[in-house]
Amino acid sequence: MKPAIPFRLLSLALLVLLVGAWEVTVRQAGISALVLPAPSAVAKTLWTSLATGYLWPHIGATLAEMLLGLALGGAAGLAMGVALAESALLDRVFKPYVIVSQVVPKLALAPLFVLWFGFGMAPTIVMTALICFFPLMENTLTSLRQVDPNRLQLFRMLGASRAQTLLRLKLPAGLPGILAGLRVALVLALVGAVVGEFIGASRGLGAVIIAAQGMMDTPLMFAALTAIAAIGLLGYQATLMLERRLLRPYADQS
Amino acid sequence: MSADRAMPFLNLERVIYTYPGRPPIVDGVDWRLEAGGVHCLVGRSGCGKTTLLKLAAGLLAPQSGRVQLWDGTPATPGPQLGYVFQAPTLLEWRRVIDNVLLPVSLQRRPLPEDIDRAQALLAMLGLSDYAQRYPRQLSGGQQSRVALARALILEPALLLLDEPFAALDAITRGELQDDLMRLCRLRKTTVLFVTHDISEAVYLGDRVAVMHQGRMAADLPIDLPAPRTQSMRHGAAFNTYCAQVFEFMNGARA
Repeated sequence: MKPAIPFRLLSLALLVLLVGAWEVTVRQAGISALVLPAPSAVAKTLWTSLATGYLWPHIGATLAEMLLGLALGGAAGLAMGVALAESALLDRVFKPYVIVSQVVPKLALAPLFVLWFGFGMAPTIVMTALICFFPLMENTLTSLRQVDPNRLQLFRMLGASRAQTLLRLKLPAGLPGILAGLRVALVLALVGAVVGEFIGASRGLGAVIIAAQGMMDTPLMFAALTAIAAIGLLGYQATLMLERRLLRPYADQS
Repeated sequence: MSADRAMPFLNLERVIYTYPGRPPIVDGVDWRLEAGGVHCLVGRSGCGKTTLLKLAAGLLAPQSGRVQLWDGTPATPGPQLGYVFQAPTLLEWRRVIDNVLLPVSLQRRPLPEDIDRAQALLAMLGLSDYAQRYPRQLSGGQQSRVALARALILEPALLLLDEPFAALDAITRGELQDDLMRLCRLRKTTVLFVTHDISEAVYLGDRVAVMHQGRMAADLPIDLPAPRTQSMRHGAAFNTYCAQVFEFMNGARA
């Protein structure tokens, strides 16, 4: 994999170029910081808000909501996926409800959750969990259904019980698909957490953006956006690393 | 083997099997497998030989007729039968040694004796150095050997093979045929080997049964000296047998 580093350099150079163009444009055109602050102004605001400790509790709140929502929704999605894959009866009874619950936009339910669970982290976590539920359920269901019939026959031949077939064949065989679902869920979880904070929270990066809007502090909005992007990138990288670690034996190697 | 010489090891009587909405794929087959013998079953693609193998394994139940073991019990899938599929069907997330031990570990925790037995089997197949590798790191021939070791780990009385070497090159296939014979003669395992390759059937079999359009066209004894060698393939007797089988397979004399 020799060209990996030059490609990474290229991608970094593009970032520098874009940010540079942004800076130059804002300065040349004299755009007000209220509309579009220069990257240098955003960086300065980000630095002071981090240095004074203003942003940290908000980053912590968003991270906590995202991870709790992901854990709860992901676990429920995995469990539901397994249940629907294992039982044709459950599949037929529950599937319509699951689909209806997913086509209703959950962001539209946020005001209702605020009404039920009050202001604070709880409604955001519930909404994030609901958003994370679907990709994991769908991927788990599909992955478990797609297990090679020859391998299933092998397990039958060896007299394996249903639980053994699930734990020792279907789940490991479906792991690549399930992890891909987790990666999608993580990205959606961040969206869910931030949008949830828009509506009913006093803490978190979403709440910071709303507050900054109220104060007409556009550089702070951009600073919060930068923090959100960083969380998303780090989270995505973490799932990629997890996949690389867990799926090492699945990959072709010489 | 304590099976009575007079009683066949596996007895199929007037066996009929039909997939829904199609003419019978196995249409009234009578077949006796002697204990300790190597029985090859040849036929053209779609003649019903794999279905017959699954009936013999108890993976399918015949619509009419009987499939009986020497003690009068119907054939059922389980650890008393070894089964080798067309593809190696290894679990790519388990190491080679764990794949070989799979039939044991589905019953109980493998004991040190089991692990020794697995190592000995791998050594006999020339795979001692690969025990800790993952299947994807092995060549096709090596994977087939691991599948063979897995089928033999519980020392089954009956070994069923469904075109196990079809995807291998001629030289590797020859090596695997010799390995198979060595291991099965050693344990006096009764073998049922399905193939579409006539010379493979004649080379391996004590008897070669020929299937044609769902019926048993012939069950020929092959009278070649016991430890077969690859050089026999060029002898006159060998080729006479091949020609005989070929004619039955074509349905010319049926």
